[in-house]
Amino acid sequence: MVKFTADELRMIMDRKHNIRNMSVIAHVDHGKSTLTDSLVAAAGIIAQEVAGDVRMTDTRADEAERGITIKSTGISLYYQMSDDALKGYKGERQGNEYLINLIDSPGHVDFSSEVTAALRITDGALVVVDCVEGVCVQTETVLRQALGERIRPVLTVNKMDRCFLELQVDGEEAYQTFQKVVENANVIMATYEDPLLGDVQVYPEKGTVAFSAGLHGWAFTLTNFAKMYASKFGVDEAKMMERLWGENFFDPATKKWTSKHTGSPTCKRGFVQFCYEPIKQIINTCMNDQKDKLWPMLQKLGVTMKSDEKDLMGKALMKRVMQTWLPASDALLEMMVFHLPSPARAQRYRVENLYEGPLDDAYANAIRNCDPGGPLMLYVSKMIPASDKGRFFAFGRVFSGKVSTGLKVRIMGPNYVPGEKKDLYVKNVQRTVIWMGKKQETVEDVPCGNTVAMVGLDQFITKNATLTNEKEVDAHPIRAMKFSVSPVVRVAVQCKVASDLPKLVEGLKRLAKSDPMVVCTIEESGEHIVAGAGELHLEICLKDLQDDFMGGAQIIKSDPVVSFRETVLERSSRIVMSKSPNKHNRLYMEARPLEEGLPEAIDEGRIGPKDDPKNRSKILSEEFGWDKDLAKKIWCFGPETIGPNMVVDMCKGVQYLNEIKDSVVAGFQWASKEGPLAEENMRGICFEVCDVVLHADAIHRGGGQIIPTARRVFYASHLTAKPRLMEPVYLVEIQAPEQALGGIYSVLNQKRGHVFEEMQRPGTPLYNIKAYLPVVESFGFSSTLRAATSGQAFPQCVFDHWDMMSSDPLEAGSQASMLVAEIRKRKGLKEQITPLSEFEDKL
Amino acid sequence: MDLEHNFEIARVAEFILSHGFTRVALQFPDELLRDSMRVVKALRRELNSSVKLYVMADTTYGSCCVDEVGAAHVNAECVIHYGHTCLSPTSTIPALFIFGKASISTSDCARSLLKYGLECGKPVLVLFGLEYAHAIPEIKSALLSDASCLSGSVSTSEHLFADASCSFISPSGTFGPANQPGSIDRRVENECLDEENSQNYKIGGLSWRLPQGRTMEDYSLFWIGLDNPAFSNVVLTFNSCEIVRYDAKEDRLIIDLSQQKKILRRRYYLVEKAKDANMIGVLVGTLGAAGYLHMIHQMTELITKAGKKSYTFVMGKPNPAKLANFPELDVFIHVSCAQTALLDSKEFLAPVITPFEAMLALDRGSQWTGAYQMDFGDLISSTPSVANKQSEEARFSFIQGGYVEDLDLHDNDEVEKDEILALVNVTEKALQVRDEDTRSLTKTVAKSGAEYFASRSYHGLDINGTDPVPAKFLTGRSGKASGYKDENTHR
Repeated sequence: MVKFTADELRMIMDRKHNIRNMSVIAHVDHGKSTLTDSLVAAAGIIAQEVAGDVRMTDTRADEAERGITIKSTGISLYYQMSDDALKGYKGERQGNEYLINLIDSPGHVDFSSEVTAALRITDGALVVVDCVEGVCVQTETVLRQALGERIRPVLTVNKMDRCFLELQVDGEEAYQTFQKVVENANVIMATYEDPLLGDVQVYPEKGTVAFSAGLHGWAFTLTNFAKMYASKFGVDEAKMMERLWGENFFDPATKKWTSKHTGSPTCKRGFVQFCYEPIKQIINTCMNDQKDKLWPMLQKLGVTMKSDEKDLMGKALMKRVMQTWLPASDALLEMMVFHLPSPARAQRYRVENLYEGPLDDAYANAIRNCDPGGPLMLYVSKMIPASDKGRFFAFGRVFSGKVSTGLKVRIMGPNYVPGEKKDLYVKNVQRTVIWMGKKQETVEDVPCGNTVAMVGLDQFITKNATLTNEKEVDAHPIRAMKFSVSPVVRVAVQCKVASDLPKLVEGLKRLAKSDPMVVCTIEESGEHIVAGAGELHLEICLKDLQDDFMGGAQIIKSDPVVSFRETVLERSSRIVMSKSPNKHNRLYMEARPLEEGLPEAIDEGRIGPKDDPKNRSKILSEEFGWDKDLAKKIWCFGPETIGPNMVVDMCKGVQYLNEIKDSVVAGFQWASKEGPLAEENMRGICFEVCDVVLHADAIHRGGGQIIPTARRVFYASHLTAKPRLMEPVYLVEIQAPEQALGGIYSVLNQKRGHVFEEMQRPGTPLYNIKAYLPVVESFGFSSTLRAATSGQAFPQCVFDHWDMMSSDPLEAGSQASMLVAEIRKRKGLKEQITPLSEFEDKL
Repeated sequence: MDLEHNFEIARVAEFILSHGFTRVALQFPDELLRDSMRVVKALRRELNSSVKLYVMADTTYGSCCVDEVGAAHVNAECVIHYGHTCLSPTSTIPALFIFGKASISTSDCARSLLKYGLECGKPVLVLFGLEYAHAIPEIKSALLSDASCLSGSVSTSEHLFADASCSFISPSGTFGPANQPGSIDRRVENECLDEENSQNYKIGGLSWRLPQGRTMEDYSLFWIGLDNPAFSNVVLTFNSCEIVRYDAKEDRLIIDLSQQKKILRRRYYLVEKAKDANMIGVLVGTLGAAGYLHMIHQMTELITKAGKKSYTFVMGKPNPAKLANFPELDVFIHVSCAQTALLDSKEFLAPVITPFEAMLALDRGSQWTGAYQMDFGDLISSTPSVANKQSEEARFSFIQGGYVEDLDLHDNDEVEKDEILALVNVTEKALQVRDEDTRSLTKTVAKSGAEYFASRSYHGLDINGTDPVPAKFLTGRSGKASGYKDENTHR
């Protein structure tokens, strides 16, 4: 049934102009996987009849069950295009066979990391947008990500069937809706003008926008119709294309084209007249079972049905007819082949994004030219669990050279620094594998421009890596991927049976490998923590952990744990002092909040320890109003030397100050990691060292005396500066019909959320709501919302910012103080905050 | 309480006379020091003048161990150790331990014990602080009478009492009653040995024998005594057993010991943390317990094998200020007797772990299974299985939440040489290097102490100050060091 063999596939892999690597990206539930099905069906991997129902790329049981994609799935497809179809293709090609390496990606925001991994190894993206819901938050996020990676997009307006069957809108209204979708997408794309990539906006009249109904397996681009009518009207195909979109009207009565609506009732927009109406007619005829009318119409269109298909009725008939008339695969394939770049073309400009090393060395050139004879450059973007438990395929893309079974490769991990031996291994590739639908095929070698899975490297690749030939010691790695989400939701896990601990440890290690976004750590109290991007992500991870990575051993998970930050509201009420254990050294200090926006600037890395001090002081003085000299006196950032807190030296004329700097810094790293309130990280605090008194003998002002004292004085100054807790806040986007708004608002109110934007989607009854929601309150938010709106609202949450909680944690009975007590209890600390008197000393 | 009774003057005198010791050291912990003179006087009355008595106090390490070095200063032939003890074997000098006798309400204790035994439905193993050893026979008899008067019905619960080991310890294996009842050969320490011995257990001076076919998990533990290191030791070692504690001071049973259980999890965290360490300090926490020297060598060997750098410290009782003088060290291994080894305080800059934990952390083949050992005697016998077949896979660090690659000192000799010379190299190039250092606020991971020093921001006197303009002449501080005159203005 599969229409191609591994050998055919392998052969085409050498023709770098006939390859398209593309990912399918979209908002959740806009029909990516369903649409992918039609493409897979056209390659003969699944039957045409079931396309749209099986969701072939949702290979996991839980994906099928929930109806969402969780992992991105790669699949290699082989197509033979007809000469006729390729007539208009101007680019380079070798023969009519095409290889499409397609990656279906998840749409839920929790799995954004999967999209990132998919985008890295593809050159083009098929952006799927639901014609009714329009461009949504995740559409925008993934589109921006794609453009950031220099990935050329094409658009498909999906779920056309809803227009005809569900909404039954008339042609003009539908046109406006589609026009809006295209426009919205173009607004985002327009900001990524790039001389190398060229114009990335999409235009229906240029064939870069398709209209599809994934569920029914049909789709068209204006090219389809233009071809049909060009011969009929005897006009040029390109001209016809232009007339089929935009402000072009046709009046069948006068048989004239105008650029304005003439006002005559028979005058209709080109798109409506020649595309929308005919489809509508066919669909209506099918749905009403008017077969006597249908057959002549089909005959006119040149569509022939098989005899057994003629007995179908209603929807089934419609689906069959549409699939035969406007097969989705043809339209989409044509769009991909014509408008998405081949690896040979794409790598020419993507090399700048990809390669970390100098852009004129041998490796950069090999990538640029997609040279199969050059040195191997391969990026592993993700690890895919193999069928034997605990092992992984390393999945990635060959950018230059060839990877073959048994090849000895240099594995450069994410921490590899050229010239050093850190994070570097030399190993053999045991097997190179390509995916043909559900099954894997071993191939001898895979040349550049293709995606590949490799066996036998999983022990040496942690999450991603760059591979090159054994001898290529000068090669720099390919740039690491940047993720758009961060793991903010955490749960503590433990095993039900204490003796399963080794299994849990092993399982966590594998889990960390299988998903680039999940982080497995351990708390001070000895609890294992699993952190994920969202509730759903975490749920899936824990399921994988238990079922796949721990062999079904039972685990107990705690309620979600949210990490907080400790900050200060204002400057310390006084300068505080702490004495060293030997009482011979005294540190004086004050704490104050960092200027607004500065912690974020540090988070983003605009300001950091590695900057040139001159630049740093420039930014600080120009943007944040710091004194130029002061900016030079930053001792350190923390925690982990890069965090959003700092120590600034404000002392004048203190002897031996240089000597204790390292000790104070060590004390600061320690203190900023575990704040005085609940041992959470500090955030947004500037500590100013006001004065220091030191013993004259070096031995009495050593680290042992200064480090603990510095820690105490940091705590004391923090506690005197109106300490506050900060909580993480989500940006929530909800799309729902008007009648559900009431429910949404009441749920948001109940959960301390607040709406800051409400917008009706033009041309639809749908509203778009944006709100801030504390992460603490977000657990169970989706289900509550679904219940309150009878399933009409579906939220997408992304971490947005830290928000200061107004209540005073030092005041007994306040909300913050209860929170602090709770955290302290969980961490096994004394329930009371250590009083200031423990940290501050008197003269 | 009666001095004579409490300090067992007669027994001590008899012991000294029977062994014919002439120079005897009396070791007191701080809290008993005030009684020392009276004890000496009382002993003097019993002994003839040829016996010289020396009082030792303020031990360098834990007061639970015999201070052999102190005793050697006076050429003592034996040590009489008073107060709480860990009963660690000594290496050179014989010692007699006087546990002291703490008061306890035996009837209350027996009642709680009986009640607990009925409730938990498992056989109960009774363990106790050594200061209560004197009351055990009484509790036993009280228990019997209580049990018999319990409504005729046969008590289903079963009680097993541990025995306090003989209070006399001679240097390991040379002489001493190996088969004396109530004491088990010190040289066999492993929890589980071969068939016939498999039922013998001992911990912190207590020993017991389980009936054939029973394991420790079948028993509930009942601890009589305070919540002290000896108890923590028991909790950690038998962490899979159910444990309750009878507090003799307050006469009540403490069933909720979740805090104690948390210790184990916390130790687990420390082990994980130690795995990330590059430089490790070995703290010498005893100069008495038998085999300590061997243990220190074993530890340094283990550290070197694991590709890390080790430094050995002798600093008496460790405290945060002392340890913070070595901020370059990532973790300390405290080699000491079982009851002082557990040092866990958030005040320490770097974690302090026990040799057993170090074995878990540094030997990549070993895994945390929950089994726990405090005594290092048994660790010595179990030579690490390192064999240095380190798998090449990157190690997963739970502290950093990802895979990390260990720095390996053995990479090649060249590197090693480089490290030794690191400080020299840097000082040679001091002029060029200095500017870079002041510029960056980041630090690279140091592999050895020398490297760490080289990366410090302060290298000594600043000959060429950054500012070419002469500094302004300022009036300095005046007044006393406890608070200079200008400091008062801050208040």
